[in-house]
Amino acid sequence: MGPSPHIRSKRTSAWLMGQVLIALVPPLVAATFFFGLQVLVMVAVGIGTAVLSEYAYQRIRYQQVKINDLSACVTGMLIGLSLPVTAPLWTVVIGSMFAIIIVKQLNGGIGKNYFNPAVAARVMLKAFFSPWITNWVLPSAWGVDAVAGATPLEFIGDGAQTVSEQVPKLWDLFLGVNLGGNVGETSKLAILIGMLYLIFRRVIHPKIPILYILTTVVVMGFWSGFNFDFMMTHALTGTLFFAATFMATDYSSGALTPAGKTVFAIGCGFLTAFFRIVFDYPGGVGFAILIMNLLAPFIDGRLMPRIYGHKSRPKTKYDRQGELNR
Amino acid sequence: MQFSFMKKQGGSHPEEKKDRTRKIPIVDATIPKVLIFPVSMHIGAPAKPIVEVGDKVKVGQMIAEAGGFISANIYSSVSGEVIAVEKRPSTGGEIDSIIIKNDYEYIKDEPIVEPGKSAHMTDDEIIETVRKAGIVGMGGATFPTAVKLSPPPGMTIDSFIINGAECEPYSTSDNRVMVEYAEEIVSGINLIRKLFPKIKKVYIGIEDNKPNALKSMREATASYRDVIVQPLKTMYPQGSEKGLIKTMTGREVPPGGLPAEVRCVVMNTSTIRACYRACEFGEPLTDRIVSVSGTPIKEAKNLRVKIGTPIDSLIEDCGGFSEVPGKVLSGGPMMGKPISDLGISIIKGTTAITVLTPAEADEGEEKDCIMCSECLNVCPVSLQPILISDAFDRGNLQKAKELGAMDCIECGNCSFICPSKIPLLDNILAAKAAIKEQEAG
Repeated sequence: MGPSPHIRSKRTSAWLMGQVLIALVPPLVAATFFFGLQVLVMVAVGIGTAVLSEYAYQRIRYQQVKINDLSACVTGMLIGLSLPVTAPLWTVVIGSMFAIIIVKQLNGGIGKNYFNPAVAARVMLKAFFSPWITNWVLPSAWGVDAVAGATPLEFIGDGAQTVSEQVPKLWDLFLGVNLGGNVGETSKLAILIGMLYLIFRRVIHPKIPILYILTTVVVMGFWSGFNFDFMMTHALTGTLFFAATFMATDYSSGALTPAGKTVFAIGCGFLTAFFRIVFDYPGGVGFAILIMNLLAPFIDGRLMPRIYGHKSRPKTKYDRQGELNR
Repeated sequence: MQFSFMKKQGGSHPEEKKDRTRKIPIVDATIPKVLIFPVSMHIGAPAKPIVEVGDKVKVGQMIAEAGGFISANIYSSVSGEVIAVEKRPSTGGEIDSIIIKNDYEYIKDEPIVEPGKSAHMTDDEIIETVRKAGIVGMGGATFPTAVKLSPPPGMTIDSFIINGAECEPYSTSDNRVMVEYAEEIVSGINLIRKLFPKIKKVYIGIEDNKPNALKSMREATASYRDVIVQPLKTMYPQGSEKGLIKTMTGREVPPGGLPAEVRCVVMNTSTIRACYRACEFGEPLTDRIVSVSGTPIKEAKNLRVKIGTPIDSLIEDCGGFSEVPGKVLSGGPMMGKPISDLGISIIKGTTAITVLTPAEADEGEEKDCIMCSECLNVCPVSLQPILISDAFDRGNLQKAKELGAMDCIECGNCSFICPSKIPLLDNILAAKAAIKEQEAG
């Protein structure tokens, strides 16, 4: 006999996470197609480690075990997909443990973490285990004759304003054909399918990936004097598409308010472009998202929606849920 | 038809579930042997009983008179004998009630005004008749209509909004009233708008899932250039007064303010029809249309119900339950009140009886907030429900207030949409109560 409302939406947190897992299937299939069965092993290790870490942590801390909300699965799968196929499996294990234990649970668990666990793990691996996870190979599908190849970003970053000859054609970039890099992010087509699925299912707000990618492209346009090839190459290169779809859209580490989401996405796009222009460093996306993660509560605090009938936004010191108590 | 200023408002899309009753014509409900009239079936002071046990009453005889300015008279809907004046359960707890035993004679009392004269009534006579008839907001708010029609001096009304949105799932009573009594609604509009000579536009807002009501109202208003039948996107809570004002006029009622402050008067379709019938036929408010629906209901119906009829009589009219109900609601599933006793009677504001199966009424297991921001997206007044709920949980009433707890219109969208099944509205309501208490003492 509780108070109203008396019906509840059928969507649950676990359902939402399940939708993200489904949306990650096309990139997973594409990655397996291009890089071989090792991809499935990486993802399995990622998910297994993430779920086990969460289970172990919650048991050790005498907390309720919440692995059935599927959020650890998403983190593990993202980490498995955001490393190159040559990455040793122990890097997947370290990354997943770091993501779940340090970034997620020590910050209070689901919904409380400031940083996206998968992005933070990726950046941490890059910082400390770089030699093992930047051994780019061109996809050789099911063969063993992998050729060491650079990620295209190394040719278009670091002050470059035009696309050099060594960069694959746009269409190849889009499909992910003959492209080195982290396994999940090669085929933009597969990511786009996942993105559209999440938008269609109303799991993510479309403005986040769209504004993120668009901002990067537009900044690159200003930088290159609107060189179309250069702009599009940036849109389709590196982890931008993947991160804009699956990482910048993370609920907990992103902005809460509608206007905050807009600023968050544009900020990610701007910082990504900035890092790519200034540094010879294929990792700008990760830093961009982490910085915006850190800023998200402050952005939200300044952009709380104006309440119906009021003249200005609510005037209250912003403390995002849980922030004061932890 | 003219396109009015449509502004984006937050809302959700619960399953509409109106198909079972939307096309079924209104039929008379069985009139029971015993009727119960709680003296408080409106917002404001309870009415004072003016009959005693043993008194004989007629149909349309006043049995309780308004207990203050914001209050309403109550009339008997049958003829018979007062058999008790005692506390009885109602949707608002145990309330003094007048119990009348039906003699099945239906002897009518004198009309409250001389019939057929509504076109010649003065403003004061119209308001006085509406007051006398005991008419209150029949969309569920039950605010005395005569008070609404007498805004404080100095306020000009330029927009008259008829609320036919009926955004609650299952409910179809307003829909049927618009389909079957469009002419009476239009007569009511003509009657009431005389009170506000500065009215430039009359809007009739109807959700676009009611094509028959839209058609019927368009036909009935075809000869009026300043009456706009406006289809509204089907969305909960499209029919909230504040939301409707914004959708139709782009104006926002200031916090704690009245619609009149933004030059609007909003009335429900059934209410305006009741005003017309009171003035034209001298009929006090003694019956209303109630839709009875929900999965466990064998035969869902739209019923014309004598006020005071117990709910179990309506359930019987609808063939009873086909399965054990999980929840019986007075009203719809979003804002309705749960009923534990089927002996509770239909009052002036009962729009619908909705019965849910236990599975449909399952509120789910509460989990941690995942910061999905859905509650912000669906809030029609742009609150941040999770933050208010969280502030309250942490005992920070000041923060809850600053975040706009008092602006909550209690539509329930936040609790409905939450994927973590957090009882957000419960917490916000508790915060509101605590803030009020703090301010009072």
